[in-house]
Amino acid sequence: MSTSNRKERSAIDRKTIGQIMDENGVGRRRFLKYCAGITALMAMPPGMTAAFAQQLRAARRPTVIYMPFQECTGCLESLTRSFAPSLESLIFETISLDYNHTLQAAAGDAAEAARHEAMEEAWGEYILICDGSIPTRMDGIYGASAGHSFVDQLHEAAEGAAAIVAVGVCASYGGVGAAYPNPTGAVGVSDIIKNKPIINVPGCPPMPEVMTGTLVSFLASGVPELDKHLRPKAFFGNTIHDRCYRRRFYDEGKFAESFDDEGARNGWCLYKLGCRGPTTYNACATIKWNGGTSWPVEAGHGCLGCSEPDFWDQGGFYEPMTAKLFDDTGQIAAGAAAGVAVGAVAAVASNRRKKKLTGAADKETSS
Amino acid sequence: MTLLEFARGPMLHFALIVFVFGVLWRLVSVALLGWRKNRAESRVSTAKAATGGAVAVGNRSWPHPEFLNRTAFGEAVGYGYHIGLFAIVLFGTPHVVFWGNLFGIGVSWWPTLPTGLITVISIATIFLMLIATIRRYMHAPLRRISNFDDWFSLAILWVLMVSGVWAVLGLGGSKETILAIHIISFNVLLIWFPFGKLMHAFYIFPSRFITGYKHEKKGAAS
Amino acid sequence: MTTASQNFSRQGASGADLSPSEREENAMQAFAQNFGAYAALNLEACIHCGMCADACHFYIATEDPKYTPILKAEPFKQAYRRESGAFAPFFKLLGLKKKVTVDQLEEWQELLFDSCNLCGRCSLICPMGIEVAELIEIGRRGMAEAGLAPKALAERAQHQAETGQPEESARPYPEVLNEIGREHEVEIPLDKDSADIMVCLPRTDLEQNPESVAAMARILNTVGADYTFRSDALIAENYGYYAGSTGLQKKITQRVVDQAEKIGASLVLVPECGHAYTALRWQAADIIGKKLPFRVRHITEYLAELLADGKLKLGKVNGDSFAFHDPCQLVRKGGIMDAPRELMQAMGVDLREMENKKGFSFCCGGGGGVNDLESARPLRHRAQELKLREIDDTGAKRFLTSCSDCRVAFNDAGEHFNWDKKTESLVELVAANIKE
Repeated sequence: MSTSNRKERSAIDRKTIGQIMDENGVGRRRFLKYCAGITALMAMPPGMTAAFAQQLRAARRPTVIYMPFQECTGCLESLTRSFAPSLESLIFETISLDYNHTLQAAAGDAAEAARHEAMEEAWGEYILICDGSIPTRMDGIYGASAGHSFVDQLHEAAEGAAAIVAVGVCASYGGVGAAYPNPTGAVGVSDIIKNKPIINVPGCPPMPEVMTGTLVSFLASGVPELDKHLRPKAFFGNTIHDRCYRRRFYDEGKFAESFDDEGARNGWCLYKLGCRGPTTYNACATIKWNGGTSWPVEAGHGCLGCSEPDFWDQGGFYEPMTAKLFDDTGQIAAGAAAGVAVGAVAAVASNRRKKKLTGAADKETSS
Repeated sequence: MTLLEFARGPMLHFALIVFVFGVLWRLVSVALLGWRKNRAESRVSTAKAATGGAVAVGNRSWPHPEFLNRTAFGEAVGYGYHIGLFAIVLFGTPHVVFWGNLFGIGVSWWPTLPTGLITVISIATIFLMLIATIRRYMHAPLRRISNFDDWFSLAILWVLMVSGVWAVLGLGGSKETILAIHIISFNVLLIWFPFGKLMHAFYIFPSRFITGYKHEKKGAAS
Repeated sequence: MTTASQNFSRQGASGADLSPSEREENAMQAFAQNFGAYAALNLEACIHCGMCADACHFYIATEDPKYTPILKAEPFKQAYRRESGAFAPFFKLLGLKKKVTVDQLEEWQELLFDSCNLCGRCSLICPMGIEVAELIEIGRRGMAEAGLAPKALAERAQHQAETGQPEESARPYPEVLNEIGREHEVEIPLDKDSADIMVCLPRTDLEQNPESVAAMARILNTVGADYTFRSDALIAENYGYYAGSTGLQKKITQRVVDQAEKIGASLVLVPECGHAYTALRWQAADIIGKKLPFRVRHITEYLAELLADGKLKLGKVNGDSFAFHDPCQLVRKGGIMDAPRELMQAMGVDLREMENKKGFSFCCGGGGGVNDLESARPLRHRAQELKLREIDDTGAKRFLTSCSDCRVAFNDAGEHFNWDKKTESLVELVAANIKE
């Protein structure tokens, strides 16, 4: 991240991505491969590659402000593991990452000053990336940076943004911070900002290529098609279950009953061990992690559903999503006892009414 | 709290309490109404009469041949969707796992049917339910005696079946929402159960038994 | 839901006029007397499957859904739900089950009396094992107490309770009996002070089928039975049962029990009558509140017992083929499945069974008091058409049964449809073929 003077940066920023790539010796072939990779990642039709490449070349390297809130930095860590496009290629060629606590060299006032400068310069055009939830209780006192609460910082940063990308479940819905009992009143970005286009890229953490792919796609063609949780349908359109390589075992009824039993060793379905696959929308089953090495189910552990809202509060991870989510401390038994009691009372009351209605004689005289 | 959390959390808990409470209320309030002694000279011993009762519990499940030509269709449709429902609920994987979790028992011993087969059974069940629903309206005696209870109980079943098939076949919409609707409709079934005709699941045994018992005592046709 | 001819009159059970609210109260009282666990279970178990309609000959003949058997029990069911059972307070408070009104009861008179023979076929088909016919009996009780049983049945029940016979007869019945004995040259013991067996008679036979009376006496004489008729308990029928009046049924039954006790009888023989068997064998002990001090047998099962013991010897009939009608109260509800057939087999009867035989036989159409209801005749004929056709389909030349009320019903139907068969009595056939 450069601390070059303003003039120099402006010059760089006014160049298109295509120009920058040319300057950096990225050949046409490699560039097209790069574009083809992204479009394939997003399951776009092959014919789109050319259009995508053209748009990307013509796009200007935008300013990106990356604001961290109540986060664990896992999302950024994941982002650094993106293999195509890599983080380096991203920040050197495609975007101008002007603020990020972890990656920037500057600190303290200098860093804040740099951020404000970048925001003013690209006012109305910069992309705001957020990770971490935003605590709202007690005026947002639970999270602050540079003397301002996260709530205020978000409002300020969002004001001049062209679009906001909320990365991770925390920024998307509140995440672990918002897990019961949510002591800090943590919420996601879209719960606070209502007047800007927001793309949620959830996950705990989100998949590296999903984050980078979304960013690049946004550069090329703006906000992609989003689902009702504001997630790009290209990556979050299918459930893990629908794309899982162990699906046929589910269909055949072959399940691992416990970890490391015969079923588990045979790679059978992990539904009985709590896999959230059926209700989780993400790309893990297709893109996989660590450059396509593996993913949780393949490693033998059920999906946690980490890209879904409130996934922390859905009951034990080793119980399925359809399992009961309550603690019965004798209420059902009490209900049973009450039923017997009320039934007895009802019968007594009925017999008393019967006596009243029939006068003295209350003997049944039917056969 | 998401809809699914609510459905399988507090609502399910409430539904189970109401179910248990209501069923026992209903059964006990009938059982304690007073049983009359029968003083007539019986043809057979009490033991034999009890056997007759036990037999009736089974053989009232299918009409006698003399009645078949008028009733076979209705019976077959009714049984068809009942059997379908039982197969789905007792041998469909997500349900087996649900019961195991609900009762806190391991279910590795509980057999399950392949998903594809369950899907086929589900569609067949829906088809039979459709016939049963239409028949309840078209067949004059049925239409005449049907009341809110009959239609509402059917409606709950419809929502259950359609939401279940919808979720499994992925016919669109958020999986979680469809699943929540499925569980909510099950909860509604549990809550409604004690108050309507669904109680026949419990009544069928004492009712058939007592009739069989009494008839056996008289040597009457059963 | 009104029929063309309603035959009730608003008369109280004791002849006085009851106000509508009094009628409603009385009906409620009668219903409430039956709010026991057994009736409740029957009412609660119904799943509205409508199968009972498929067993009822009135529905089958007319396809009119109002004849669905369980619907006939609706007033009782409604009263039960409102006053008894698990949720009665809620049903009452929320107005979900209304009070049974006199209008409703009047509407139901046709359903409970005109279009039901109490034959019990509906109870047999019910997959839930509900005793539908019994619920209808209870329904009748409400009607009777409300003074809304059909006039013919109510009056006859009252008369029989008071005098021992349903109607005034041209001549006193004991006199008729003695005359039958003289005319048919058969000894008929009447009013013996003590006897082992007491026998009753269907009044229809006394009036219309004296040969049957004579035949029965002849058989009993031949087998050397120690029996007698009693003037004070001569008639087997129980119009209290028909009308649904428990009180009158009890009075009529008590008369029989008293007489039997008086002579020290160990056995009371029910003649060829259907509901008399039900009333005496299966309902009497409960209605009078104690076990009967004597056995109750129908004449056919008594004869079958004698046959099995070798005390009755029968010759063979000629080669004619017979169809046999199983009277509902004796066979389906009474349990006398085999006795008639054992007798017929011993006589070498070429029996052509009907498609619906034994416990499944269709009612003659006259049971349950329907024979006495003029208003029910057209409907009854429609139902009987099925039965006559079924009998014809057996290809039998002759037709046999063991209940005098069935004979009345079949004779009436036969006349209406110009039927080619006469309804004969099994007891008469036995008497004709008895070997001395």
